[in-house]
Amino acid sequence: MKKLIVTALVLTFIFTLAACSAEKSTVSNGEIDLDLTKLGSTMVYSEVYNMIYEPSKYIGKTVKMQGTFTVAYGDEPDSFYPAVLIADATACCSQGMEFVLKGEPTYPDAYPQRGVEVTVVGVFDTYLENGQLFCHLKNAEIVK
Amino acid sequence: MSELLDKFQLYFQFPFVRYALVVGVLIALCSSLLGVTLVLKRFSFIGDGLSHVAFGAMAVAAVVGLTNDMLLVMPVTIICAVLLLKTGQNAKIKGDASVAMISVGALAIGYLLMNLFPTSSNISADVCATLFGSTSILTLTQFEVWLSVALSAVVVIIFILFYNRIFAVTFDENFANSTGIKANAYNLLIAAVIAVVIVLAMNLVGSLLISALIIFPALSAMCVFKNFKAVTICSVCISIFCATAGILFSIIVSTPVGPTIVVADIAMFAVFRVIGAINSKRNKI
Repeated sequence: MKKLIVTALVLTFIFTLAACSAEKSTVSNGEIDLDLTKLGSTMVYSEVYNMIYEPSKYIGKTVKMQGTFTVAYGDEPDSFYPAVLIADATACCSQGMEFVLKGEPTYPDAYPQRGVEVTVVGVFDTYLENGQLFCHLKNAEIVK
Repeated sequence: MSELLDKFQLYFQFPFVRYALVVGVLIALCSSLLGVTLVLKRFSFIGDGLSHVAFGAMAVAAVVGLTNDMLLVMPVTIICAVLLLKTGQNAKIKGDASVAMISVGALAIGYLLMNLFPTSSNISADVCATLFGSTSILTLTQFEVWLSVALSAVVVIIFILFYNRIFAVTFDENFANSTGIKANAYNLLIAAVIAVVIVLAMNLVGSLLISALIIFPALSAMCVFKNFKAVTICSVCISIFCATAGILFSIIVSTPVGPTIVVADIAMFAVFRVIGAINSKRNKI
């Protein structure tokens, strides 16, 4: 039994090394580097969490994602932050990914209504505001 | 079928899916090894109590602002595990009462602290993620994976080295004492290992469902096998199978990971119960 368990441990160690070796995750689709619309909701939630947790790995990638459209308002009178909201399977947690549309679109004319399901394509980037790091999809397009 | 395989191929490109499987298998292995001992010692519910302690400690770590909450969660859970197993032999407060006291006490204090000193804008999501696991197993970092591998290796090595003594202490502490085995010392060791497993398992199924991971594989194996070694090996196999199946099913069908694993354990228990009933009928004939 001891030999069996030791062998299992060694195999687990090798399996872990293999699992941790390849860091790259690419679900490419033509010009899109990361197509999250191909994934289930649990996978999407986890990947968006990773994008926000380790943004440096995703900067410059073209991302396509689907979720509920929402808008957050800032302290300034005209500041607004449109975002795609993704809920997890337990429906208690959600991640929002802010996006900035191409050109200079006006709000609310160029945007859908809150709560509407949207598909957005944009380039992942980070920016600093009030000393805090935020993530967004720049040059974004609402494709659906 | 090929569509499903394509989906698996696609999902396995993501490191977090591979991390989840590695950590899931390791936690299932450790929890099932200890599950047999805990069920036989009538401490099935200790997992629940200690996981609530870990939840309370996590809340304190968040309020204090510790970046690595393991530094607080692990020692607090180990101390409570030792206290619980010690007071189990105390006549004034029986084992089940002390587990219940610590369980609800820590849960209440943890939730109260999270509300009084919120560290994020969405408290209910934080609480939900800690209690039900949510997708925490799918959001592990590489450091957390290696930490789980190291701690799991320690648990398995301790179990292998002290297998005979753990066996003796599990069945009859008085007999173990009379044969020169220091039962109290091994109870402390078991308590410390339980705490480590519970803190690890919180990532997999959340604190409310940890007991299922400890109890179901052991009980399922006990339905069919009657000796300690066979029950332990069968329990490990059941636990690993259910954890792997649960994780894969949840990412494919987009169900919550923790509850899916527990449902797989329940289904396996039902299957083993039926096999056990058929076997006992055959033996009577």
